[in-house]
Amino acid sequence: MTALETRTPTRTPTRTTAPLGRLAAAEVRWVLRRPRTLVLLGLLALVAVALGIGIALTGGPGGDGDGDGPGLVAQVAGNGLVLPIAALGLALTLLLPLTVATASADAIAGEAAHGTLRGLLLAPVGRARLVVMKAAGVVTVAVLAVLVVAVVGVLTGLVVVGGPGGTMVTLSGTTLGLGEALGRVALVAGWTVVQLLAVAAVALAVSAFTEHPLVVLAAVLGGLIVFGVLAAIPSLEWLQPLLLTSGWGAGTDALRDPLPLGDLASSSLRALVYVVLGSVVTVVRMRRRDG
Amino acid sequence: MTAAPTTPRATTASPPDAVAARVRGLRKTFGSTVAIDDVDLDVPAGAVLGMLGPNGSGKTTLIRMLLGLTRPTAGTVELLGHAGDDLPAALPDVGALVEGPGFHPFLSGRDNLLRAAAAEPRLDGDLRAPVDAALERVGLTDAARRRYRGYSLGMKQRLGLAAALLVPRRLVVLDEPTNGLDPAGTRDVRRVVAELRDAGATVLLSSHLLAEVEAVCSHVAVLQTGTLLVAGELAALLDADAGGLVVSTPDAYDAILALRAAGAPSYRAEGGVAVPPGPLEAPEIVATLVGAGVAVWEVHRRRAHLEELFARLTEEDA
Repeated sequence: MTALETRTPTRTPTRTTAPLGRLAAAEVRWVLRRPRTLVLLGLLALVAVALGIGIALTGGPGGDGDGDGPGLVAQVAGNGLVLPIAALGLALTLLLPLTVATASADAIAGEAAHGTLRGLLLAPVGRARLVVMKAAGVVTVAVLAVLVVAVVGVLTGLVVVGGPGGTMVTLSGTTLGLGEALGRVALVAGWTVVQLLAVAAVALAVSAFTEHPLVVLAAVLGGLIVFGVLAAIPSLEWLQPLLLTSGWGAGTDALRDPLPLGDLASSSLRALVYVVLGSVVTVVRMRRRDG
Repeated sequence: MTAAPTTPRATTASPPDAVAARVRGLRKTFGSTVAIDDVDLDVPAGAVLGMLGPNGSGKTTLIRMLLGLTRPTAGTVELLGHAGDDLPAALPDVGALVEGPGFHPFLSGRDNLLRAAAAEPRLDGDLRAPVDAALERVGLTDAARRRYRGYSLGMKQRLGLAAALLVPRRLVVLDEPTNGLDPAGTRDVRRVVAELRDAGATVLLSSHLLAEVEAVCSHVAVLQTGTLLVAGELAALLDADAGGLVVSTPDAYDAILALRAAGAPSYRAEGGVAVPPGPLEAPEIVATLVGAGVAVWEVHRRRAHLEELFARLTEEDA
């Protein structure tokens, strides 16, 4: 305990807010040190590995009909490069949205609950900047989550399931070389990230309204379930173009030859609309929110 | 406590305007509850202002509006010369501990501060040096690498104080800073407040502990149910409340006679005489006594205690 600090006075910046790069870097570091982020990323890796091992052991689908259906999973048998695409499709139904919703819930509602949001606003981090900083953390989680599934899926596919000489047999019956097969995996990964950004934007908007992270999780996962129910009601078919989840089967298109881009494009466009709406609501709300 | 006033901060911290913070006609309602009712308050630059008031009197709401965390229902706030939408421009020079410390339990105290430091506009380059300096200043160096989860209430409070002191500040706002602190912690807070004052910073401190405010504050503001009862210099308020002189002398009889001859009534008190506020100022009273050959051992102003003042103010109103 000495008296006043003895630090030699250096150039003191006169700016009124910290550089955005430093804020984003601090946010990403914080997100990646959270135990729950690491646990969820680990679980996602397990999905890909478990799917691969299951298929390798049984020589085919377990017949559970989950996710994208036995049709796609059956394709994985002896065709390892289909595994990452099947795993992404499976994870997109629940675990991936849960991962980004958790990150979004912690990003604003969780910070408010810990009293740390106040500290950021007092620093001050401008309110619009705060949203950008928070988005950086959530986008990082979304990209990492998809990368984990894709990379572990490719490795498990090649090592555990194996394939016809590092090639991919499409649903259309043609065979793609390793390079093009990896390109297809990357396409699905990118498309999945865009879908997750839509979930994240909505989750951040909810997060901006509450200081209870659980409300965000409940709203996002509940919303996905409601979307699923609405999509299953024939008389509500006109709602389909509005539902984020109604385009989530498009990932399978990457396994067709030639590649049909229509559904991938329209579902991405729909996701971008969700991203824009969610971002606008988040920024507007954060500008007025009490710290 | 060496060389505090010689740091460059002492010169750079003296603000050009005489008022560090000013609120006018400030009002805040939550539904039908009036939390703050038409408060006007100046916090003079360089002052240590203690904000007193019972629980629920609106101290924290007032502080939150001062810092731009809550929007006033009506009225204006000016902070270090910045007002309105420009208010956040004052915040880099303001350190605050409001509504208790807020940190993440899964990070160590030091990592929590590093995260806070990344958001400080006034910091550049290596953030570890200012973070370690702030930790040392509040006596947390030994616990710096432990997780915040395991901190005691007092350690959490110290960490909150460290966050407010990461950067040399022109204004430091401390909301109930000694909550949960042991006597040593309370002393440390007093020391930090004194250091800030010596460095030319303004301190706004809210508390319900009268002794604490009396010990460290130059100014006080008393709030009750959202209304400002009184605000001003502590010494002046206490003088106005009591006043008069107490003279220690063995010659009480001669002293009373001499003072009566000079036109100032006085009466015998323990160890000497007491002179109520009257026509004569203190130097004239001393001169009269010495001139009359009275042995004067000590003369001091009879000061009321803040506790009496506070009790009188808040009970009058109730």
